[in-house]
Amino acid sequence: MAIRKIRLGYIFAFGSATALLLVAALAPNTPLVQSASAKPPAPMAFCHAYPEAKACNTGFADCTTCHTTPPARNAFGLQVAERLAPGLPRPLSDADFLKYLPEALKAVEDLDADTDGYSNIVEIMAGTQTADANSFPRTLACAETDASRAASAQWNVCTYDATYVFKKVHLDFCGHSPTRAEMDGFQKVTDEKAKLARISSALDKCLDSPYWLGKDGVVWNLANAKIRPAHAVKSGEDAGPVPLGDYDDDYNLFTWANSNDNDVRDLLLAQYFVKRTGPVTLEQISEEELAKRPRGTKQPVPVEKRVGMISTRWFGAVNTMFTSIPRTTAAQAYRSYLGFDIAKMQGLNPVSHEPMDYDIKGVGAPECAVCHGTLDPLTYPFTRYNGISGGYSYDDERLKAYVRVDGPRVAEAPAGGVILGQKVADLREWASVAANSDPFAIKVTGDYWKVLIGREPDVNDQAEFTRLWRGLKSSTTYNYRVEKMLHDLVQTNAYGRP
Amino acid sequence: MTKRMTSGLLAIAAMAAACTTAPEPAHLQFAADAPTPVVSADPRVKFKDGERYLRDLSANLNIPREEICKELSRYDCVTDAFRIVLGGVEAPNLLVNEPIAEAALTSPIAVDRVALHVCTKRVKMDRAKPAEAVLFKAGAFGRDGRAQTPDREWLNSTADAVYGAILLRSPSAREIQNLAAYYTQVAEGRPANSVDAAADWVTLSCFAVASSLEAVFY
Repeated sequence: MAIRKIRLGYIFAFGSATALLLVAALAPNTPLVQSASAKPPAPMAFCHAYPEAKACNTGFADCTTCHTTPPARNAFGLQVAERLAPGLPRPLSDADFLKYLPEALKAVEDLDADTDGYSNIVEIMAGTQTADANSFPRTLACAETDASRAASAQWNVCTYDATYVFKKVHLDFCGHSPTRAEMDGFQKVTDEKAKLARISSALDKCLDSPYWLGKDGVVWNLANAKIRPAHAVKSGEDAGPVPLGDYDDDYNLFTWANSNDNDVRDLLLAQYFVKRTGPVTLEQISEEELAKRPRGTKQPVPVEKRVGMISTRWFGAVNTMFTSIPRTTAAQAYRSYLGFDIAKMQGLNPVSHEPMDYDIKGVGAPECAVCHGTLDPLTYPFTRYNGISGGYSYDDERLKAYVRVDGPRVAEAPAGGVILGQKVADLREWASVAANSDPFAIKVTGDYWKVLIGREPDVNDQAEFTRLWRGLKSSTTYNYRVEKMLHDLVQTNAYGRP
Repeated sequence: MTKRMTSGLLAIAAMAAACTTAPEPAHLQFAADAPTPVVSADPRVKFKDGERYLRDLSANLNIPREEICKELSRYDCVTDAFRIVLGGVEAPNLLVNEPIAEAALTSPIAVDRVALHVCTKRVKMDRAKPAEAVLFKAGAFGRDGRAQTPDREWLNSTADAVYGAILLRSPSAREIQNLAAYYTQVAEGRPANSVDAAADWVTLSCFAVASSLEAVFY
């Protein structure tokens, strides 16, 4: 039976304000929201207590460590809450929470919250879920007798099986199985290094195939959820009935940044556009050529203000549309490129005194501020970029046009904001912080992992997955080159063990 | 024809069931059966998806991709007919940005339909142009064009061709024997030298292998 998906350790670069939820739930009788900014960093505190836990690879534990749907606690959260400074009045101060949390965690270490036969501490260290009986530590190693039997079988399920990978690489990257002659030829190779070299060579060939790199190919489709195309409002080639923008620009830039020797950070940093010159070939468009485009396909944001995929005409058309403070735009960027879905309370990292609610939408209400304390400062850098109204251009004075609708304070919304706890002056800086962050590398690697492995990384994958995304960031390993990372991905046990 | 096909499919189902649960009839049992496979502790088998499935069948059975499977002789089985249920996406119009996470109820039906469609087409092509046959080769017809009862050698070599073409490997002795023995069920009640019976057997053998886990998943 397959191990259930365990997300611990995958997207856990959450902001410290997820603490808000943990605190509220851990402290008995505490309402969920008191203020959006005055809570201790519980996920971080958890990881201070257990720095070696697999859930703490990037310093923050997931909300699900203690919660089902926050603020509701799971079985482990209930055990901790019961032992958290029981004599003290509620709500606990931040200082008290931080002071007593390690003690409470220690007190429940030997308990077994989910009664799966493994104590809480064993599960914490193994990276499995303390409150899910179907998630428990297990070994993937085969017994000696099984290993020898598996080695002579059609598939070697006990280790990396190069023959299996050879076929899999063809299917994943070329879109078809190898020929029988190719399979027979591969099986005649006995040297393991030579086998890996053949796999690598096959991968190189397939990475240039239309199935992988072409229009509607694998890389193209990887961008669907980020671009969210809608043919009805497409402009340019194969235009829809109400042409607003041409998302082919977005797909082409996405494919460019993810292919060949290109830097994947250009998803957020590119100040150029790309056109398709053949089934698998792309090239940058000159500014002269871009300027000559017909009205419906122009990219009005000036070069120096461009921010890769998140300042294109299409991105503004479908996300910003007519809004002054385009929260949907920021949330989509945060979700698509950093893997944090604010609607699922991921990546919360509230900023003091936020949200300011410049557009009088009521987001300062406590139940809204939980998310908007993060989302609004994340959004301000987008406020100078027009959507449909304003013609998709950049305008420093853009918000003045919204005073009549959203009130006079809307024009006071700053151009600078905060992302991942860092202040930024504008969207260029926002994108720079994002593109160089761990969550970006995790998201890029995770997208490919999901396509190629067939599921999100689970607890048994953490060592290999972490090596890959850290390698993507490292200038001496993959240096943000996706194809280099993929060469190593197909050599992981996660990929190559049937 | 439909009735024969139905009985053939039922026979396949029975054969498949026999492979997994019930003891096999004595004539299908081998003295030196392969040892029980080791179970993967963390299986990562993936669905091939409709497009890759058809591409493989297209290449392996030598039928152009654009002709291999048309519903109502008009709609491509994967691109137009079963795209989403067979794991494809269609973002701009249907807003299906990612493949469905779990197979739909109709996914296996679609796979079976595509497999049967392709195998039927291949055998028809083989009968139309015996010199270019891929699966249904001329051996059963005799040198002078008269039909003969398929002999063991022909059955075995055809079974070998079916496995080789679809799964890109040689079948085990057991697999050959299973398919060859299945001929008697397909031919039951029909003339011993029936070309139709032989062709149906090849079609259904092709279908059995093309709809197997090994052909559909990887």
